[in-house]
This record gives sequence, C-alpha cells and structure tokens, in this order.
Amino acid sequence: MNCNNSGKTYMVTLEGTRQMNLDKIIILLKQGKHIREDCVYSLCIQAQELLMNESNVTHVDTPVTICGDIHGQLHDLLTLFEKSGGVEKSRYIFLGDFVDRGFYSLESFLLLLCYKLRYPDRITLIRGNHETRQITKVYGFYDEIMRKYGNSNVWRYCCEVFDYLSLGAIINERVFCIHGGLSPDITTIDEIRSIDRKQEVPHEGAMCDLLWSDPDEVDTWSLSPRGAGFLFGKGEVDQFLQTNNIELIARAHQLVMEGYKEMFDGGLVTVWSAPNYCYRCGNVAAVLTIDGQLERSYTIFDAVQSQNGMGHTIIPTKKPQMDYFL
Amino acid sequence: MEKVVQQTDYDALSCRLAAISKGYLPSVAFQVQRCNYHGYKEMHMEYLHSLKSVSRRIHSKIFRAMQNSFPVMNYGTYLRTVSIDIQINDFLKSHSKFQNVQIINLGCGSDLRMIPIIKNFTNVTYIDIDYKDSIEMKRKILDQNRALKKALESDDDGETNRYKLISCDLNDEAQTVRTLSESTSSDSPTIVISECVLCYMDDHASKQLISVVLDIYKTGIWISYDPIGGSKFSDRFGIIMQSNLRESRHLEMPTLMIYNSKETYSSRFANCNVEIKDMWDIFENDIPKEEISRLKSLQFLDEVEELKIMQTHYVLLKASW
Ligand SMILES: C[S@@+](CC[C@H](N)C(=O)[O-])C[C@H]1O[C@@H](n2cnc3c(N)ncnc32)[C@H](O)[C@@H]1O
Ligand SMILES: [Mn+2]
Repeated sequence: MNCNNSGKTYMVTLEGTRQMNLDKIIILLKQGKHIREDCVYSLCIQAQELLMNESNVTHVDTPVTICGDIHGQLHDLLTLFEKSGGVEKSRYIFLGDFVDRGFYSLESFLLLLCYKLRYPDRITLIRGNHETRQITKVYGFYDEIMRKYGNSNVWRYCCEVFDYLSLGAIINERVFCIHGGLSPDITTIDEIRSIDRKQEVPHEGAMCDLLWSDPDEVDTWSLSPRGAGFLFGKGEVDQFLQTNNIELIARAHQLVMEGYKEMFDGGLVTVWSAPNYCYRCGNVAAVLTIDGQLERSYTIFDAVQSQNGMGHTIIPTKKPQMDYFL
Repeated sequence: MEKVVQQTDYDALSCRLAAISKGYLPSVAFQVQRCNYHGYKEMHMEYLHSLKSVSRRIHSKIFRAMQNSFPVMNYGTYLRTVSIDIQINDFLKSHSKFQNVQIINLGCGSDLRMIPIIKNFTNVTYIDIDYKDSIEMKRKILDQNRALKKALESDDDGETNRYKLISCDLNDEAQTVRTLSESTSSDSPTIVISECVLCYMDDHASKQLISVVLDIYKTGIWISYDPIGGSKFSDRFGIIMQSNLRESRHLEMPTLMIYNSKETYSSRFANCNVEIKDMWDIFENDIPKEEISRLKSLQFLDEVEELKIMQTHYVLLKASW
C-alpha cells in the first residue's frame, strides 16, 4: 500500500513494507494531514478483516489502560497517548465514540485503526453509540468527510468498519468494559456473545442498550433522557457483577467534569477522555489503568492549549461557527 | 465591533430556523395552544425566502448554518424561545383590560414574535429596535413579502400601525432616551425584551440603558435572556466562551464574567422585583413530561451532561417594576 501523493498506488504483501507504510500513515495522521481516499479504503478493508475475527466480547490481559470517549479531538488523543505511555509500550482499550463533534473525527479514528493494524495485541476498539451511520449523519462525522473529500465514500468505508467493532471487552475475567452500560435483556456476558453484531446499531434491544444506557440513582430500569437505551441503578449493577463474577464495570459515554466517576461502591466507573469537550465544556479528561493486581489508577489530563497560550480553548479550525447561543 | 455584534442576529435566526426545520418549534403545547401562535413555520420560511432577495450572501450563510445544528443547540433554542414567549403571553393576558400595552424589543434582530402578538392582542403597540443596518434589512424583508406585510398592516378599521421598526444605538444614552420618548408612551404598561443583547454591551452602557428605561416607564416587566460566565472557582465555561468567540469571530462579551451568576445578573435590576432561573432549571421543572418526550422523539440527544453545562450558563430574568 502506498499513500504518498505520487500517483501510483499498489498493494504490497511484504509484512515489513506494510509496517513501514503504516508508520508513515501514522505520522501523517498525527499531523492532521490529508489521507488519500484509496488509502483510507485499503486501511478500512484490512481493519475489517482483522476485526471480523474478534469476538463480541474480547479478552484482554493486564496491565491495560481504559480510555473513554474521544469524539474527534485528535490533539487530545495524542496527549492521551503521551500521558499514558503510548501504544508502543502499553496496552489500551478504547470504549468507543471515536468520531463526531470534534473537528478531526477521521484522523482520530484512522489513527486508532492504524495502531490496531500495527499493534493488534495492544489495542482493543469497542463500538460506541456514535459509530453508526445514523448518528454520524447528525453529529458531524459525515459532514466532516463531505468537507474533506467532497463525497461520502470515506464515510461509507468507515461505517463498514464500525459494523465489525467489538461490543465489549473483559479484563482478566474480572473487569467488564462496555461503551454505555447494561441492558434488561442481558443477564450474563455470554448472552452478549450470541448477538449478531455485524450490523447498524438497532434502535432498541440488547445491542442498542449496551451502547446507549447510563447508570443513575434509580430503583430499577427506567427510561433514558437520551431517547435510546435505559437508566439502570445499583441493584442492576450489583446483580450483574455477582452473576458474572466480576468486580467492575468500566464504561464511558457520559461527560464527567472531573474525567472519571466511580459509582455504586466502586462497582462501576465512567471514564471520559475528551478534555474541554467540544472545545467549550471546560472539563478535564481521564484514563484508567488496571494493573496486574487489578488495582485502579487514574491519569488526568487537560486539553491542548490554543496557540496563543491564553487558556485551554480551541484548536486551529476552519469551522465557521462556534456553538453558543448568541 | 458593531458589525460583528449585528451578525450575531444571523446566529439567532439560523438557530431558530434549524429548530423549526427539525420540529422543535413551534411547540404545540406552548406556542400554539397557550400563546395562540399560528403559521409559525410559514412566517419564518417567508422571512428566509425574502431575505434571499435582499442579501444572497447572508441568506446562504444562514442557510448553511441551519443545516448543521446539533440537537443540543436545538434544545437550547427551543427553551429560550418558548420560555420568553410564555412570559410575554402571561403578561399580556393579565393586562388585556388596558387600552394600550407596549412591547419594546431591544436588539430585536430578525425576531418575528411581533407577528402573532400583534394579531392576538389588539391593545398592543410593538416597537422593534436595533442598529440602523439591521433595521433597514428587516424593514426591506418585511416590506417585500406580501404575507408578512399584510400580517403587520393596520387593523381592518384602518387605525394607525401598531408595529414600529426603529433604529437606535442602545449604547448611545441620549439617542436612546430621545428615541424612546418620541415613539412610546411612558404611562402604558410596558414589556421590555432583551434577548441576547445586554451581553454585547459594556458594563457602563448596559447600566445606563437599564436605568434609562426603568426611569421612563411607570410600570412594566423586563424579560432578559443572556449567557452567564459561571461563578464557581472550577467553572471555566465563561472564560473559554470569551476566548472562543474572540478567536473565532472577534466577538466580545464584556460583562460575561461580571454578571456571572443568577445573583450577580439579578443585581442589575436592584430596584425591581426580580425572578431569575437558569435554562436548566426551566428544562427540569417547567417543561411537562409529554413535551420532553416529544423533544426526545425528534433527534437522539447524545449527551445530557453537555446540555446541562450549557443551559446552566444561560438565564432568563423577569424584573417587574
Ligand atoms: C444575538 S442578536 C439577538 C436578536 C434577537 N433579540 C433574538 O434573540 O433573536 C443581538 C442583536 O442585538 C443587536 N444589538 C446589540 N447591541 C446593540 C446596540 N448597542 N444597539 C442596537 N442594537 C444592538 C444586534 O444588532 C443584534 O441584532
Ligand atoms: Mn456515547
């Protein structure tokens, strides 16, 4: 595969050349440079082949760093890797929501895909509720691709990859990782394994709930204010932990001003990894590292500084409007 | 600076148009049933249509902005719009016996509220005030559009027009006093509206404006909607907002961090009887369940916490005197 802008592209089969090319693309992506359409296509096809063989709930060993929503904030994703060791040294689980809202959804997602292809055992990617055709059409990823490529091909290639992403992960059989939360239709982790995941996320049912639900101070399953998934409480969490013989549910999906939030006597944690979300919320971000003894440690990080060093504000961008009520 | 401030009207308008196109507005429960607004969507479409012939450039800017608005913005626009509509409507209903009630919309921009209100309340005189350029554009659009023009024309009995479009720089105290004295009556019960207007004025000018207006009118209410910067030590919303707006469009909000809480914002109306809520209070307490589930059905709201952060940084004040 050749992604330089020199005209001719060809697929190479030699593993060494493939890695060299991946490394080159990674460098380009880190700089926010344009990646050619055929190159994105090739990356997406390779990623699909790799992800296809992963199960719905992937097994992961410790030590591992769990990361929450990224939402196209490429520069902050780079900070995340810097602060937590980097993929060359550490193992990572990303809990989904790579795209939408931020200005660099494509670069963020492709960077993670390249890492996955380059270091398959060191990075696990889980699907978030934004990794769907319908949501990306509303929340920015689709528009970003139209802006950057003038057509929707690249968006389509990426959506194909979304359909192959795992739904969850389990660390040392003791920590369950999921984007949103629990579902009234799911009692055991094994039941998740039998879902046919290779599809657009449905509007209801187990697969939808896992990606959309939120923990809350509720007595039982309740309606979610988001319009999809459910709210679940301590009772549901305790039950799930006990039934599946696990000690923690690690999930993302909700903005937390402090970057992370433990609930229900530490039985559940929300990890949020997009600092100053949408360039205006003023929150810090966190990742959670689980070591060999299953001890938890959090790394907190802040948004990339704007160029003039006047506080944590915006990234250079061509976006015409800022989202405030004026 | 003046130009940059005037352009914020395009944001307000495109937000409203986006909320309309996605079905957030009009709200049947609030705007149609309670306030008796009719043809809400149609009048906005007419306005947008005529705007195109007045300025293609502005039209395409607004048209583009309304295409990509996020649900979190549509929720906020909905809250802002219906909660002001309700306040106005409640006051007018309780003052229906008065021969003349006047509404003065400071920094009116492209707000079209006057259309249903003039129709519903025959005792209302409605005065829209903004910078000269903004007023001229609005006048052109309203003049050009047959449906809108008709809706604003004098009553069947041929009485004088109850709608006035007046240009005035509200930063200019003398001009403001003169304008208001010439075109309004100080004895009539008065509703003053400032919807995202005080936030662009510097502290001194806004103080002057408030004091001048309160002096002129014997009795009335002031309905004001604005952002507040936040007063908690860890709250960075306001500072980030100021620097985002400065960097992306050279727009200043000079008092955002001065009137940064409900309390400090209310202090601007010290001699009045003040009620103030932030828009999250309103969302949580004043919007009935059925309406919330209607909103939910329009688009998936991807992040409730974000909505909360934003809406706790906007307030709606009602000051009575
Ligand atoms: C954000 S827009 C709001 C428009 C309208 N009130 C609404 O909410 O849809 C602000 C408006 O206030 C007007 N404005 C701000 N400062 C002003 C001043 N000193 N004199 C007159 N108009 C002013 C601007 O021209 C602009 O139309
Ligand atoms: Mn999410």
